[in-house]
Amino acid sequence: MASDTINIYKPLRATLEEVIEESPLIKTFVLIPDEEFVFKTGEFIELAVDGVGEAPFTPSSSPLVTDRLEVTVMKTGYVTRIMHELKPGAVMGIRGPYGRGYPISEFKGKEVLILGGGCGLAPIRSLLFTLEHMKDDLEKVILCYGSKTPADCIYKPLFSRLNSIDKFEAHRTVDVTDDDWDGPVGVATALLDQISVKIENSVAVVCGPPIMMKFGTIRLLEMGYRDDQIYLSMEKNMSCGLGKCGHCMMGEFFVCKDGPVFTYREIKHNPEIWK
Amino acid sequence: MKVEIDDLKQIRFFEKFSDGQLETIANISSIREFKVKDIIFEQYDELSEVYVLLSGSISLGISLPKDKRIHLGTISEGQLFSWSAVFQPYISTAWVMAVTPAKVIAIDAKKLNAEIERDCDFGFKTMSKIAQTISQRLSDTRFQLMNQLNL
Repeated sequence: MASDTINIYKPLRATLEEVIEESPLIKTFVLIPDEEFVFKTGEFIELAVDGVGEAPFTPSSSPLVTDRLEVTVMKTGYVTRIMHELKPGAVMGIRGPYGRGYPISEFKGKEVLILGGGCGLAPIRSLLFTLEHMKDDLEKVILCYGSKTPADCIYKPLFSRLNSIDKFEAHRTVDVTDDDWDGPVGVATALLDQISVKIENSVAVVCGPPIMMKFGTIRLLEMGYRDDQIYLSMEKNMSCGLGKCGHCMMGEFFVCKDGPVFTYREIKHNPEIWK
Repeated sequence: MKVEIDDLKQIRFFEKFSDGQLETIANISSIREFKVKDIIFEQYDELSEVYVLLSGSISLGISLPKDKRIHLGTISEGQLFSWSAVFQPYISTAWVMAVTPAKVIAIDAKKLNAEIERDCDFGFKTMSKIAQTISQRLSDTRFQLMNQLNL
């Protein structure tokens, strides 16, 4: 007997068109889904390799492009290691999109300060595409980004491109320099001393490794940001994407369903926030 | 080159100082210019001036054996450096080098310390700002350390 039940775990087929090496540990996978794939910036997907497993990622491409999806993957474990070995033509699976992304409509008329670190630039890149599209409704967009070394910086051409766009400015720093680097040295939060922002009419977005999110949030609060002006993109162990399995629980929240984007006010009392 | 009060008013470090206090600072300061790769001072130098960066970019770091230099951070415009000149033993904890052509305000540290002792309000504002600078640098260093340790 045929069943009309929808399998919510069935992935959408996508063909790997291109693999871009961003840094020694990070690659961007350009995927062509079999069907139009619609997502909002900040929402995440489960990306699967047949017979291996799946892992959660926030797309790094523009949500305005629905026939092509870019996902930036850092080699950290078993599934991502296999992903890094894939070649163009490979077939992958996409589930989603899931969760709650950035409340873009609330950014209208404001200055948007984005603080990013490491692979956290992936979801930020998608956000930047969205903000560029709506730049007439924004006052200013400032990106402050830090990577460990110059070689670890991903999307290098993005910075000069952003600096050429009206209302956008992008700053970049590294923790450890090399002979070719003549830019700022130090952590991403130190870049906040170099910028000018009207805090009362601003929102801040933070995305990166937990330690950067913690220090970044503290610095933003010291600068005068209220806890409801700070948006954090939480990276937890998201698995089912549906708020069922409980792997991503953070206090009373399922990060996969209630997040991954939260205001600091919503989650600041949670002891697991920076873990 | 003489420092004008209007120069000081543009700098975040001096934002809470009165006109009279800014005049005091202007009277004990001068403007210096450095070329790219000029060493402003070396680690372990005895310091006699406190600096505030007016324009340009400067890097600070520590020295290792065999003349190796490690860059630890970049000073932004409006930030204070060479705070060791105000505290005993007046020895620098890092080297500082101009990364681009840089213009700084150099404040005579002995005269600054004398004014800190003479005028409590001036002293409190100055010490608060120096403490904030050091606290920020300590926080950044902890963050940098945790990054390097992959914590």
